[in-house]
Amino acid sequence: MVRGQPTGRAARSRRADRLWRPPMGPTHPEHRGVMFDAEGGVCGAVDRCSSRSSLSELVVVPEREQTVTRGRIVLALGAPAAGIAVLLVVAGEGKESTLQAILGVGIGWSFIASGLVAWTRRPENSIGRFMVLAGFVRLGAEFSTGSDDPVLFLIGHVLVVGFWIAIAYVLLVFPGGRLEGAPSRWILIGAGLLLPLRLGWLLLGGDETRNVLVTVTRSPHLARALERAEYGLVLFLGALVIAILMRRWQRASPRLRVALAPVFWAGVAGSILHVLWVADNNLGNPLGEIPMVLHDLVLAGISVGFLVGLLRARLARSAVAELVVELGEITAPGDLRDALARALRDPSLALAYWLPDDERYVDIDGRRLELPSESESRVVSIAERDGRQIAALVHDSALAEDPQLVESVCAAAALALENERLQAELRAQLQEVEASRRRIVEAGQEERRRIERDLHDGTQQRLVSVAMMLGLADTKLSSDPAAAGELVKDAKSNLSEALHELRDVSQGIHPGILTERGLPAALAELVQRVRMPIVLEMSVTERLPDRVEQAAYYFVSEALTNIVKYAHASKGHVQVERCNGVAKIRVSDDGKGGAEAVRGSGLRGLQDRVEALGGQLTIWSPRDRGTVVEAEIPCV
Amino acid sequence: MRVVVADDSVLLREGVVRLLEEAGFDVVGQAGDGDELRELVDKQTPDVAIVDIRMPPTYTDEGLQAARQLRSCHPDLGVLVLSQYVRPSYALELLEGGSQGIGYLLKDRVSDVTELADSIRRIADGGSVLDPEVVAQLVERRRSGASPIDDLTEREREVLALVAEGRSNKAIGERLFITEHTVEKHVQNILAKLDIFESAEDHRRVLAVLAFLESD
Repeated sequence: MVRGQPTGRAARSRRADRLWRPPMGPTHPEHRGVMFDAEGGVCGAVDRCSSRSSLSELVVVPEREQTVTRGRIVLALGAPAAGIAVLLVVAGEGKESTLQAILGVGIGWSFIASGLVAWTRRPENSIGRFMVLAGFVRLGAEFSTGSDDPVLFLIGHVLVVGFWIAIAYVLLVFPGGRLEGAPSRWILIGAGLLLPLRLGWLLLGGDETRNVLVTVTRSPHLARALERAEYGLVLFLGALVIAILMRRWQRASPRLRVALAPVFWAGVAGSILHVLWVADNNLGNPLGEIPMVLHDLVLAGISVGFLVGLLRARLARSAVAELVVELGEITAPGDLRDALARALRDPSLALAYWLPDDERYVDIDGRRLELPSESESRVVSIAERDGRQIAALVHDSALAEDPQLVESVCAAAALALENERLQAELRAQLQEVEASRRRIVEAGQEERRRIERDLHDGTQQRLVSVAMMLGLADTKLSSDPAAAGELVKDAKSNLSEALHELRDVSQGIHPGILTERGLPAALAELVQRVRMPIVLEMSVTERLPDRVEQAAYYFVSEALTNIVKYAHASKGHVQVERCNGVAKIRVSDDGKGGAEAVRGSGLRGLQDRVEALGGQLTIWSPRDRGTVVEAEIPCV
Repeated sequence: MRVVVADDSVLLREGVVRLLEEAGFDVVGQAGDGDELRELVDKQTPDVAIVDIRMPPTYTDEGLQAARQLRSCHPDLGVLVLSQYVRPSYALELLEGGSQGIGYLLKDRVSDVTELADSIRRIADGGSVLDPEVVAQLVERRRSGASPIDDLTEREREVLALVAEGRSNKAIGERLFITEHTVEKHVQNILAKLDIFESAEDHRRVLAVLAFLESD
C-alpha cells in the first residue's frame, strides 16, 4: 500500500499547498493536525503553535540522503580504526590496564554504533549525529588516562570535558532532538565553562605526575581550587539536568514515557554505579576494578538506552507490520481501534468516522461525535483514502513528533478504516431511519391529540349548548312561546357553527376533495385559500397513487403555511410534474429565505413524510433570496 | 339554593348559568379554571359547585383535582363534575373520597333541565349522583364472565342501575311506576343475591353497590 519512496515524496511535494483544514470549515481554527493519504504521502501538516512539522522537514531530498549515507559508511569504518589506533597508543605506553583501555574505547564504540543506527533510522533527529560525535570524542578522551604524551594528554582532557558536554546535550534534547527552553540552554553554556576550568587546572600543573605541553606555572593551591570549582559545577549542572528530566517525565504522556524509560533506567543505574565507584575510591579501592568496570559498562549501555528510546519514540516499522497482520484478524467493532492504539502505542486513541453526506463525524456505532478541540495533549490527524477523508484519529500529542508513524499506520489501515467507516455510516443511517419512524409515529399521535382537542373544545361544546338551548326551549314552550322561539333560533345558529367546525376538523383529517377530485382540484382549492398570489402549475392530469397524492397535498399545504407564516414573501409558485415515474412537487417564494429542516419544524415533518415514501426533500433557502422546497416522490 | 359554575368554555358556562337561573337556582359566581373556582368557593361558600372536568392549564382532569381539594376544605360543599366523556374510573375516583354530596354527569345531561335541577338538589341534600351511562358501563363490565348479576331478574337489574345512579327508593318507584314498597323488596333481593349489606342511607348503599360493581 505504501508506494515507492520517490513517487511518494513527489506526491507530498506536489500537495505541499494542501494544508490540513478542519472539515467544518473555518469556524474551527483550533484544530491542528497532520493529513495523510492512503498512499503513504503526507499531504501537509499544520501546527498552529510552531512550524516544527513544516513540510521541509518531512521532505528529504534524495541526493542529500545519498551523501549522508556515504558519510555514515565512512564513519562506521572509521570508528574501529580510530579505536584500535587509540588502543595501540595506550597499550604502547602502558599507563593503564588493558581492561580499562578496552572499556574506555568500548564506550566510544558503543556510542558511535548506537548513534549511527539512530542516525540511519531517524535522519531528521540530531541525536544520532551527536551520539556519533560523542563516541569519537570518547575515543580520544582515553588519552587523558592512558597517555603520557604531553599533546595527547592535553587533547584527552579537553575531549573528556567534550564528552560530558555531548552527553548533557543528548540528555537535554532527548527524544525530540531540539533544545527547548531557556534552562536547557543555560545548562549547556554552564557546561562550556568546564573546559577553561579543566585547562586551567592542567596548565597550573594540577596533575603533578604528568607532563603537559605547557605549564604556565606550578601552583598546586590554585589548581586545587579550580578542580573543586569544576567538581562543584559538575554536581550543580548534573542536579539541574536531573531536575529537568524529572519534570519532563512527570509531564510526559504515557506514550512519551515509553520513549524516555530506557534512558531513565540506564541513567539511574549509571548514577548509582558512579556513587559506588567514588565511594570505593575513597575507601581505598576494596572492590578493585569491579565498580569501574560496571560503571563503564553502564555508560556504554546508556548509549543503547538512547538508541532504544529513540526508536521507540519513532516508529517501530515492526509495529506497522504487526498491524497489517492484526488487520486480518479484526472481527468485532472496536478491534480496529485497539489494533491502531497498539501500533501507535497510544491507548487513548479515539477514532471518528467521516460521513461526507451529512458532513459530520460519528463513532463506530453511528452516533454523532464532535471532535475534541485540540489541546496540549490531544491532536487530530485525518486519514484519507483516494483523496477522500475517511476518518479522524484523535491521539496523544506526543505522536505529532512522529508524523511518519501516524502516516504509515493510516496508510496500512486505510482499507480497514474505510470498511469501518461504511459500517458506521450504515449504523448512522439506521439510527436516522429509526428516529424518522419515531417522529412519524409521534407526529401521528400529536395529530390525533390535536383533532381530539378541536372536537372537544369546538364541536362538542357547541352541540352540548345546542342541546341545552333546546332543553330550555322545551320547558318554555307552553309558558313563554316567544322566548322558546328565540332559544330555538340560537340553537339553530349554534348547530350550523358546529357543522362548520366539524367540516374543518374532518378536512384536517383527510381532505375530502382529494379523494373526490384528485390532486389538481385539491391543490387549486388549497391555493385559493392562501391570501397571497400563488401560481399553480400542474402538468399531471392523471391520478397518482393515493399516498403520493396525499403526501403531495400535505407537502404543498405545509409549504404554503410556512410561506404565509415566515417567508415575508409577495408571491409564491407551486409546480407539480411527473417524470420517469417520480412526482416532483416544487413550492417556491420570493421571501427572505433562510429556512431549515430543524427538529420540530414543519419542514422536518415534511421531510419524514416524503422520505417514508422513499422520496427526498430538497431545500434551497439562501438568505434574502427566497425559498424553494422540492419533494421528489416515486410513484410506485 | 346558591351554586357556582366552573367551565373554561364561556359559551357553555353562560348556557348552564342561564339554564340554572331559569330553574330557580341562585348562581353566585363563575370560574374559568380550578384556581378561580377555589377562590370563588372560599369567598361565596355556595351549596353546590358545578365543575367541568377538563380545564386549563393542562386540560386533563383539573376539575377532578379541584373537586377533591374543595371537598377537603369544605366538607359540606356539594360538587357536581361534568364530563364530555364517560369514564367510570374518574367517577369512582371521585366517590372514593366519600359519596356524600357528589355527582358525576355527562355534559349532555344539561339539556334535560328538570333532571339536572333534580340532580343538583340531590347533591345539595348530601346524596350522590352517577351518570346512567357510567353505571351501565360498570354493570356491563361486571357482566362479562360469570357473575352474580346474571342471577338478577331484568327488573332487579333496572333497580340496581337506578340505585347505583344514587336514586332513592321513592324516585326509583316513580320512575319504574311501582310502589316504594315494591322497590324496597327488589332492593333487598338484589342485595341478598349480590351479598351486599343493607344500609339505611342511600349514599352508603350507592357505595356498596359501586364497590360490588368495581370488584372483579
